[in-house]
Amino acid sequence: MFPKPIEKASPATQLSYKLFLPVALFIWLLPMLAIVMTSIRPAADINSGNVFGWPSDFQMIENYTAVFIQSEAWTYLKNSFWITVPTMIISVSLACLAGYALAIYKFRAALPLFFIFVAGNFVPYQILMVPVRDLSVKTGLYDTVTGLVLFHSAFQTGFCTLFMRNFIKALPFDLIESARIEGVGEFRIFWYVVLPLVRPAIAALAVLIFTFVWNDFFWATVLTQGEASKPITAGVRALNGQFVNNWHLVSAASLLAAVPPVAMFFLMQKHFIAGLTLGAVK
Amino acid sequence: MNPALQGLVTIFIGVGGCMAYFYVSNLILDKVIYPAKGPNISQNINRANLVRPWLFLLPVIILLTLYLVYPVVGSFVRSLYNRSGDEFIGLGNYSSLIGSSDFRVAFFNNALWALVVPALSTFLGLVIAQLTDRLSWGNIAKSIIFMPMAISFVGASLIWKFVYAPDPDIGLINAILTSFGMEAVDVLQIPFWNNLFLMVLLIWVQTGFAMVILSAALRGVPEETIEAAIIDGANPFQVFFKIQVPQIVATIIVVWTTITIGTLKIFDIVYAMTGGNFGTQILPSYMMQFMFRDDGRATAVAVLIMIIVSPVVISNVRQARKELR
Repeated sequence: MFPKPIEKASPATQLSYKLFLPVALFIWLLPMLAIVMTSIRPAADINSGNVFGWPSDFQMIENYTAVFIQSEAWTYLKNSFWITVPTMIISVSLACLAGYALAIYKFRAALPLFFIFVAGNFVPYQILMVPVRDLSVKTGLYDTVTGLVLFHSAFQTGFCTLFMRNFIKALPFDLIESARIEGVGEFRIFWYVVLPLVRPAIAALAVLIFTFVWNDFFWATVLTQGEASKPITAGVRALNGQFVNNWHLVSAASLLAAVPPVAMFFLMQKHFIAGLTLGAVK
Repeated sequence: MNPALQGLVTIFIGVGGCMAYFYVSNLILDKVIYPAKGPNISQNINRANLVRPWLFLLPVIILLTLYLVYPVVGSFVRSLYNRSGDEFIGLGNYSSLIGSSDFRVAFFNNALWALVVPALSTFLGLVIAQLTDRLSWGNIAKSIIFMPMAISFVGASLIWKFVYAPDPDIGLINAILTSFGMEAVDVLQIPFWNNLFLMVLLIWVQTGFAMVILSAALRGVPEETIEAAIIDGANPFQVFFKIQVPQIVATIIVVWTTITIGTLKIFDIVYAMTGGNFGTQILPSYMMQFMFRDDGRATAVAVLIMIIVSPVVISNVRQARKELR
């Protein structure tokens, strides 16, 4: 078997692998480990300089409750949730429709439209900033959860449509053809034949969009102002100012922001990776 | 309104409205406008099928026109007007930008980012993909390398503040330096090098992406080619660089360009770590300086970013087109 499993290589190679890789991985994770450790330390440890050693006491619950009590963290988390989940649902369902149309119907505008989607996918979002902000202010959507949802849905739908179109294009076309010959209506073909087949794509997209939107900081900064609609990414920066020099609280707050996408990643790792691979290589 | 309620209402209107629109519009098309009966039945069916794709596409097209096409055009037009937006000044914003030394610093730094980050992330991703592929616990190692990808850039920035903090009691790097008896330094204030320290963050995040895609590509390399090379006496380095890598060049280019495009629009890291001070400004964070002060200049920077990105975008569209044929 090529490549050979490492167990069959020479002892020297084996040793260097076994030593070097874990060390490299440890260094890779060191920033994460440091922040996890800091977030469960009592404040006294940090003041006395015990930042890298074993914590003198585990105060995980105390620190995390302190974050919730002393700040708006809970509001931020709720906002993030209510921005991310509707966006995920709206853009994936719209993309199913549009992807279906682009993949299944043969019409002259299909190809140019497809290329507009490809290009739109790579448009730097900076160029959208000023008009989108003005538009949101004019329509009263500035500084609201709905405004962020609408914008994110629109922006992510481009990517999702591209992804769906490629996925549906790869399905056997005979299935749809034979359903048509049987006289099944177009909507029922979409609903009963195509949708069940694209479930893996829907799962992959849902995970990707969840992480993209949850982790967005740019639009959170541009389109929100107050506490009432700020998501956790922008909130964490505010907390960073509020908890100055309370490093144990800053790190707990930062970890809170990272927990949902990281949890999502570990639970749905297969879909996440499938999504990235499909999205990049097509 | 309460955010939970807002969210629920948006889901309901968004999805329910979409489905209803879709069902009803198809119904009207098939039963009312071009009914599949009567004297013109075949003509009616053909016409209905010509209209149908547009029914599927309409919601997406409306959303994208409103939030993508209109803003791109709007930004370009806005960049030709002055600060308050009431006087047309042509390319005035652009010429004053190019004349400012801050802009040139940001531009130079951005070029540095676009060269260093994709190169190092792709290289590291490739090497790690190859090394962990031969390992029994390779998948665990991959998950670990990949995990930063799930964290937001702001989150990553806060995490790395612990690494770079000037206080040796907090900062990892300074803790190591002082334990060797050296002076603690604020690494984010060392001219030029601080840019590279910021890039480390993005490399930390993007290597996982490169690794995942490239490891899938490496698995697709036909085994016979590797086998033949080994029988001919190639050493592992030769197998890797002369047999495996040449066969996945197309994927490497895709990964490289994807990371390049991503790198050109990242602003979170610089914004959160240094705020663009100490000579670390890049164009996207430079633009944020003008956000609420001078929309004319802000949009001019945005248009310039767009122009810089466009060759990469065009090459990607070309690539997609080639694959279609």
